Amino acid sequence: MEHADWTTIYPYLVWVLTAIIGLGIALASAGKQLHIRRLPAIDAIEEAVGRATEMGRPMLFVPGLAAVDVPTFQAIAIAGHVARLAARYRSRIIMPVTDTVILTMAEQVLREAYAEGGAPDAFHPEDIRFLSSDQFAFASGVVGLMNRERVAANFFFGSFAAESLILAETGQALGAIQIAGTPSTLQIPFFIAACDFTVIGEEYYAVTAYLTREPILLGSVWGQDVCRILLASIIFATTVSQKFLPEAVLKFLTNIGV
Amino acid sequence: MFAPIQNPILNWILVAGALLLSILVLVVLHSSPPYVRRWVIVGLTFLVGLYVPLEFYIPRHNFLTVFRDPLGDLMRVLAGFTIGLGIINLVIVHGQHILRRTPNLPFSLAFFFGFISMTVVGLLHRYKPEFLAQKPGPGELAFWSAANKVFFEGLLLPLTSTVFSLLAFFIVSAAYRAFRIRTLEASLLMAAAIIVMLANVPVGTWLTSWLPTEGFLKWLRLENAALWLTTQINTPAMRGILFGAAVGGLGAALRIWLSIEKSFTFGGQ
Repeated sequence: MEHADWTTIYPYLVWVLTAIIGLGIALASAGKQLHIRRLPAIDAIEEAVGRATEMGRPMLFVPGLAAVDVPTFQAIAIAGHVARLAARYRSRIIMPVTDTVILTMAEQVLREAYAEGGAPDAFHPEDIRFLSSDQFAFASGVVGLMNRERVAANFFFGSFAAESLILAETGQALGAIQIAGTPSTLQIPFFIAACDFTVIGEEYYAVTAYLTREPILLGSVWGQDVCRILLASIIFATTVSQKFLPEAVLKFLTNIGV
Repeated sequence: MFAPIQNPILNWILVAGALLLSILVLVVLHSSPPYVRRWVIVGLTFLVGLYVPLEFYIPRHNFLTVFRDPLGDLMRVLAGFTIGLGIINLVIVHGQHILRRTPNLPFSLAFFFGFISMTVVGLLHRYKPEFLAQKPGPGELAFWSAANKVFFEGLLLPLTSTVFSLLAFFIVSAAYRAFRIRTLEASLLMAAAIIVMLANVPVGTWLTSWLPTEGFLKWLRLENAALWLTTQINTPAMRGILFGAAVGGLGAALRIWLSIEKSFTFGGQ
């Protein structure tokens, strides 16, 4: 692994962005009221859980293909919230995973979520299933699960690859209500085409803040938005200024990686 | 810093000691109250989360770099422990289907057949490829190596390729639903899709080949229109989403590092 190159702008930029997000968290901790816009896909989670309960069928939560990384951690956090809702109605969630580390994490998170939801006995450890670490073996396993268990709701949150459409189209054919969220840009169009609701890009990382409305989490989302405005401004300013800036300044900006 | 130990007896003693220590840590963690577990997880997450960026941002090979490989090994060892849990999970789920004779029994039998045969064949191929078999002729594979090849190249690869090939049909059905003209967005989507699809087949480029290659009208040629759509519309939109997600990922990483995202700092119950 290489080390940071301090002759470019990138390491400084990462620290500035981190500081801005930290500032957002600090402001929220100090009591600043922050607002987060509506995310219809996340509002639909309760509807999906309710529908599965009415139909007396289980739900399926797929936390993506990746092993231990930030999108998968986020997916597990979302699964915890879905499980808390499911516990209220004593509904079942089946969670197939591709990684054994995620298996242990998911089991613990869901066990605690069911306990917090007031139905610890409604949690079945065998519903958290390790299927395979191979992409298409996993996909065929999930498709089989969907068909055999006749799932009423599908949640696809996490990093996905080519199997995304195989999973989402099978769920669509089964008539399940489907909510997806992924930071994998290449898979977003597939989920939009096949799912009822899709969370895209940065919305994916705002889901837990939206669901819990915890001020500290909202603060981090506020900080991220400020970072995006800053980045967009840098892109806009450097693009426009190319016409006016002297050659030497442009060369300097190119050298530092702008 | 951590040079391999050559003395086999000392090696075994260290392995046994590490195992005993791991078991002791597990026992202590399990018997400790939830809030202690929570603080252990919070503390470890913070320390490791601090180490990685510090090691990266201090220029060149620094005093922290020597711990990088041992930490990577530690992660692999921890992941190795959980593989056993994965196998236990599979055996429990499918074992229950067989014991209770549920309608899923055939699938569970298939699992046990596949699991046991692949394990046995894989181990024999690795360690005793001629076990209970004739010696292979010149240029021939040993019996268990040939069996391993049949299992992997003759069974597993075609099966995974079959699942992958299903994607072609799913793309058609998803595209059909997405392109049904119901809204302005769907109409725009379909128009863009038609232009890009036609531009990628010979008949598409032939359709507008009579248009000039220079001047304003060149943009009406399908290949140019498709290029404009993909590079000027699609790429910026994708990059915009990627920028947003990257900053979101940074925020989420910060939340996990500081244990603000409470779902991972177990011990609530």
